[in-house]
Amino acid sequence: MKNSPLFAALLALCPAAATAAEPAMDIPVLAEQAREAGIAHVYGGPWEYFVGGGAASFDCNGDRYPDLMLAGGTGQTRLFVNRSARAAALKFEARDLDLAESDLRNVTGLYPIDFDNDGYRDVVLLRVGRNILLKGGEDCSFTNANREFAFDGGRAWTTAFAATFEGDAPYPTLAFGNYVDRSAPGSPWGTCHDNMLHRPQPGERLSYAEPNALSPGFCALSMIFTDWNRSGTPSLRVTNDRHYYRDGEEQLWRIDPGKLPRLYRRSDGWKRINIWGMGIAEGDIDADGFPEYALTSMGDTKLQTLDEEAEEGRPAYRDIAYERGATAHRPYTGDDLRPSTGWHSEFADFNNDGLLDLYIAKGNVEEMPDFAAFDPDNLLLGQHDGTFFEAGHLSGINLDRRGRGAVIADFDLDGHLDLLVVNREAPVSLFRNRGGKTGWGTRPMGNWLQIELRQSGANRNAVGATILVKSGNETRLRKIQAGGGHASGHAGFIHVGTGVAERAQIRIQWPDGEWSPAYRVFANNFVVIERGSSEARYWYP
Amino acid sequence: MPYRVLLVAGAAVLALLAGAALAENNPSPWDERTIGEQTRQADYSGRLSDEELKALIERGEHLFTAKFTTMDGVGRPMATQAIIPTKRKRPVPQAFQRLPGMDSNACSSCHNDPIVGGAGDFVTNVFVSEGFTNADFDSTDPQFSNERNTNHVLGAGLIELLAREMTADLQAQRTEALVRARSTGEPQTVRLTTKGVEFGKITAEPDGIVDLSGIDGVDTDLVIRPFSQKGVIGSLRQFTVNALNHHHGIQAVERFGPRWTGQDDFDEDGIAAEMGAGDVSALVAWQASRPPPTQITPDQTQWQRMSERGSTIFEDIGCSDCHRPALPLNSLEFADPGPVDGAGTLRQTEIADGAVYDLALLDWAETLPRDESGAVLVPLFGDLKRHKIADQQVSALGNELLGQRFVDRDVFMTGELWGIASTDPYGHRGDLTTLDEVIRVHGGAGRAARDRYIALGDDDREALIAFLKTLVITP
Repeated sequence: MKNSPLFAALLALCPAAATAAEPAMDIPVLAEQAREAGIAHVYGGPWEYFVGGGAASFDCNGDRYPDLMLAGGTGQTRLFVNRSARAAALKFEARDLDLAESDLRNVTGLYPIDFDNDGYRDVVLLRVGRNILLKGGEDCSFTNANREFAFDGGRAWTTAFAATFEGDAPYPTLAFGNYVDRSAPGSPWGTCHDNMLHRPQPGERLSYAEPNALSPGFCALSMIFTDWNRSGTPSLRVTNDRHYYRDGEEQLWRIDPGKLPRLYRRSDGWKRINIWGMGIAEGDIDADGFPEYALTSMGDTKLQTLDEEAEEGRPAYRDIAYERGATAHRPYTGDDLRPSTGWHSEFADFNNDGLLDLYIAKGNVEEMPDFAAFDPDNLLLGQHDGTFFEAGHLSGINLDRRGRGAVIADFDLDGHLDLLVVNREAPVSLFRNRGGKTGWGTRPMGNWLQIELRQSGANRNAVGATILVKSGNETRLRKIQAGGGHASGHAGFIHVGTGVAERAQIRIQWPDGEWSPAYRVFANNFVVIERGSSEARYWYP
Repeated sequence: MPYRVLLVAGAAVLALLAGAALAENNPSPWDERTIGEQTRQADYSGRLSDEELKALIERGEHLFTAKFTTMDGVGRPMATQAIIPTKRKRPVPQAFQRLPGMDSNACSSCHNDPIVGGAGDFVTNVFVSEGFTNADFDSTDPQFSNERNTNHVLGAGLIELLAREMTADLQAQRTEALVRARSTGEPQTVRLTTKGVEFGKITAEPDGIVDLSGIDGVDTDLVIRPFSQKGVIGSLRQFTVNALNHHHGIQAVERFGPRWTGQDDFDEDGIAAEMGAGDVSALVAWQASRPPPTQITPDQTQWQRMSERGSTIFEDIGCSDCHRPALPLNSLEFADPGPVDGAGTLRQTEIADGAVYDLALLDWAETLPRDESGAVLVPLFGDLKRHKIADQQVSALGNELLGQRFVDRDVFMTGELWGIASTDPYGHRGDLTTLDEVIRVHGGAGRAARDRYIALGDDDREALIAFLKTLVITP
């Protein structure tokens, strides 16, 4: 319809209609195609598997297409190799894992990381029982490397993971978050397991022989190493489930290389907060270098930003979820007005408009009567005024499934981010992003870049690096991280929507703090940046 | 307020607005708006008939020559000239300002010599800056911009079509190299060549990574961007959207509208939806359909003789290495939206049915020579490639203060010489009044030809000028 003063006046006289109108931004069409793509998989099991339900996305065969490993709970963990062609229908091929049957069961979550610096992505399996380091090899092969790396997987019920390369350590430090200690007296109430920190021992060979306990543990469901204060030394942020802990709270551990971990306390500025913490997402919405965090819970989601009124250097956070329209506290569609239950959360730009969106997996724990039974996942699209717009129902992700973990990655390498959701006791959902919704089909959305970092020696994939993408006055910031979300992680290209910018300058702050030169790139390309090189290179699917 | 009063007031408002809507459709003779009723993009789809194309071109000419007013949307008090929608920090005291713009009332205010769509003399210089590399870029300090003379847009449709075909060629060569590298497991180095113009080389690795360090004269995405003196604008459509904002404060919806900015009136001048996609298409159609400049055969015998000799010298001393007399064009079908634009300029796949302007429908198309394969020989006297045009000794054309969009300050697109006799002054700043002067300041890639020119005798130099003076824009 042509804009006319008459039309505008009619709109103005009908405020309800105007309010309900969809914003003019691109709403991505996310078409569910798991079965057609060859992924039939269910996460399930008894009480211990009410939580967890993870997925790991990474390239295991060197073609740079993201492959998938999915937790099965009491069912098997399975590997799906990506056989898609660029911008074509998604296609995955199930591949048997040559591992002991017992290793593949009781898995709650998975995270990819190259912990032995051999160039193959490894996978950390979080389990009810002994955790496992899966060493990746050629052509999607994996071996149990617990013995090789002197890793004691413990016997806890593990539900969270994060990793970082501390200082100049050649191997990563692994943090494991544990849930309820079922063997403790009085379990499950107030019997949370300690969390564990596995630091690589000095020496040429990787050894995790002497772990440290992170005590007290408060039933962690997600954790992430985050450089919250731009110090260059990430701290460990842990979100905890208040359902089970007593006198617990959210936690931030100071992890200084060579020193014992220390909790930030009230005297440091840390504020007590109690939530049913399920998932953490980190995203720097305003690209000021101080990240925001989305913490999922039962009821309202917290969106925290560093309180600008707090004393400098103190981890005091302010909740901005309400003012930004990101509380996502109850289902946005349907008749069920009971509170939501949030799990995986992740910031990403689904419509390539240059603004970070927030995805939240939702789903009742099992049959909790005080919480929504139909609880669709959220797709909160970032808007130019800093608020978020709920587009889950418009995009097509509002399925009646109990979401848990998820992976956001570009599975068909068309520049649009796709979404895989692990659901409890229901098939996984695989949503292919078809582009922006129109009256006649879909259209391409904004411009984009996908960036891969490489460095030689240790930490080849530059975990901990910061990527700045500058176009005009706009800067977009991404971090390379291992951890967070809910029991799920991904490794590979870092996606950045650039809106209408057709060019960008990329600068990298490598994990040791060194800044790269500015790399000049054109949008809508896959960019590979090798540390020390003067020019970026493009990669083509 | 009593309900009845509210009803009456509402009716009055509606009546007033309805009147305004009617007035918009039927403008009064004294109406100070120039854009008037906007062109519906959907009315021009598919391959346009002769009649449809002419109607769109006519609308485009109206817009190209319209002196836009504030009632149309002139003014961008809260937006900069940047191609990425960018807010000013504060309104500027003067709406019109020669450096950051707005700096003209109509497209034809500058593009008018010797005809509408032509070039402009020094007075029409514009100040080109990215407009966003510094938050306070609305400064009047010239150190933040490059001064450029106005180009003509005659034959612009042919130029864009050439660029599209060349882009497709180069990208196909890249794809072929990747396929070979992947199938053989060995790196493949290919020389990039299209229409006889070389653009360096790339090396495709078996894992799909491409080494771009050897490319020459084209962007790393292998898109030929043929417009602007710098060769950084990919299409007439992109140029149009950029220029409307920069020079007039008229913001095209396809980039400055709510889809990309969240606002109906991004520049906050009180006018929403200032120019729709249909009117941008009309401007594109008008520019794309401009007849190309021609080469005249002089009436005067001596000039004819001299120009013939000059034409030979042009070849002999190497001018034609870059100023290629003609490039072959396979198709005269101009798709709008085009195939290479990114988001923020309407793309082919963004609308259900784009338009195709068949330039063969235009009278001038029949006058273009064709080669034995039937390809049109576009007599542009250019190569659509960027070159370094300054060196240590001959540096006058390396006089800009800033690089632009990744292109160094002394690198420019080869200027197409068609119409050169009608578009003085010369040089990207328009500060060289004669052809002799501009030839003498060619450094860098043009240095050898320039040196040979200087080494010529007076008669031969004069003959070369006589030849160039036959390349005209005819009214």
